[in-house]
Amino acid sequence: MQDQILIEMKGVQKWYGGYQALRDVDLTVRKGEKIVLCGPSGSGKSTLIRCINRLEPIQQGSIVVNGHRLDDSIKAIDVVRQDVGMVFQSFNLFPHMTVLQNCMLAPIRARRIGKAEAEATARKYLERVRIGDQADKYPAQLSGGQQQRVAIARALCMQPKVMLFDEPTSALDPEMVKEVLDTMIGLANDGMTMICVTHEMGFARQVADRVIFMAEGQIIEEGAPEAFFRNPKHARTRQFLGEILAHH
Amino acid sequence: MTPHFGLAEFGFLLRGLQWTVLLTLVAFAGGFTAGLAVALLRTCGHKGVEWITRIYIGIFQGTPLLLQLFVVYYGLALTGLKLDAFVAVAIGFTVNASAFLGEIWRGAIQAVPRGQTEAAMALGLHYSSRMRDIVLPQAIRISLPATIGYLVQLIKGTSLAAIVGFIELARAGQIVSNQTFQPLLVFGVVGAMYFILCWPLSWWGSRMEARLALASQR
Repeated sequence: MQDQILIEMKGVQKWYGGYQALRDVDLTVRKGEKIVLCGPSGSGKSTLIRCINRLEPIQQGSIVVNGHRLDDSIKAIDVVRQDVGMVFQSFNLFPHMTVLQNCMLAPIRARRIGKAEAEATARKYLERVRIGDQADKYPAQLSGGQQQRVAIARALCMQPKVMLFDEPTSALDPEMVKEVLDTMIGLANDGMTMICVTHEMGFARQVADRVIFMAEGQIIEEGAPEAFFRNPKHARTRQFLGEILAHH
Repeated sequence: MTPHFGLAEFGFLLRGLQWTVLLTLVAFAGGFTAGLAVALLRTCGHKGVEWITRIYIGIFQGTPLLLQLFVVYYGLALTGLKLDAFVAVAIGFTVNASAFLGEIWRGAIQAVPRGQTEAAMALGLHYSSRMRDIVLPQAIRISLPATIGYLVQLIKGTSLAAIVGFIELARAGQIVSNQTFQPLLVFGVVGAMYFILCWPLSWWGSRMEARLALASQR
């Protein structure tokens, strides 16, 4: 079922007080799709993905994730969060737990699986992000790139249907960006459905099925990476790409 | 014939010390439990509940402890509820401690970075797990120096219980001093007892603080 719709946002509006962060956003993501969201800071791209797992409530419109409509009920939020993994700009690993414990906690508490199984799963994904030998260390003992890979493994341990990445390489030293991007590319090649907020346009070219450009809380333009980069339709997109590509 | 400060008098002071320790333990245990509840309610996200706990904290932080002990001991007696002096001061100190510890821990809970809660939510963890597994373990570390500092204040503060006739260490010292006319010696011993109780705690508290500062540098 290549065409199965995993995420459907319709007419989503969001305000912070008087400030409108999202304006009438429609977005459909199919199973296996890789989407890169870009745009200037304050354009609402982080807000958009944070609405998908209900870290932010919306005021109007609807969001359906894997057939479950997100409303205010705790049950709906629960179901959706179990299907959606998220990786943050600032890693947000739990500093008082080892790498292994970081990866085991949610499967044990939220999925209610046994300790042995949780540990096996955690070790499997830590291997996959090539950090299996650091399982007993604490986050503070790892480099930024290693911490972000642990964060990816931690999210994968919940076996999500979709992964959200919120500027996953923005807080990293330049020499560590590649190891995280490589991990994400590996994940994409394995068929994971992904939405990435990032300014890494090389990653977008290589991995994305669609690139979406946002400004002032609206989706301005979207398209396949080749067309998007070569021939952007809107002046606002051209200006943004000019600014961002000048630095690369 | 006035008695001199001897073994019997020292034993009397020791019994006072015992009550001071017992009162501190009860007040801290009660204050710990109630304070945790206050801190959780104060940060629960429900505006009305947060407002009520804020007033609760404000009342007990904003009025003298002495007054609060009077209210519990004499005030409740007026309503027909005659409490034993120990029970009355234990309640008074517990309620007072719950407000102070609640406020200390409220600050500590809010000092845990927001990203920790967000990561836990994104992983599908419920409130109880978020608090128990993620936020509180970090908040307790942050608040440990202040909590120990409060415990030291509490030990010394129990001397106020004398006001309703409860014989703890300070009151025992006063009694012995009046009997022996050796105030310097008696209060010297009393002071030493308080010091032996409080100083190791203070020392432990500052050691914790130094260790925490070191850990956060890493």
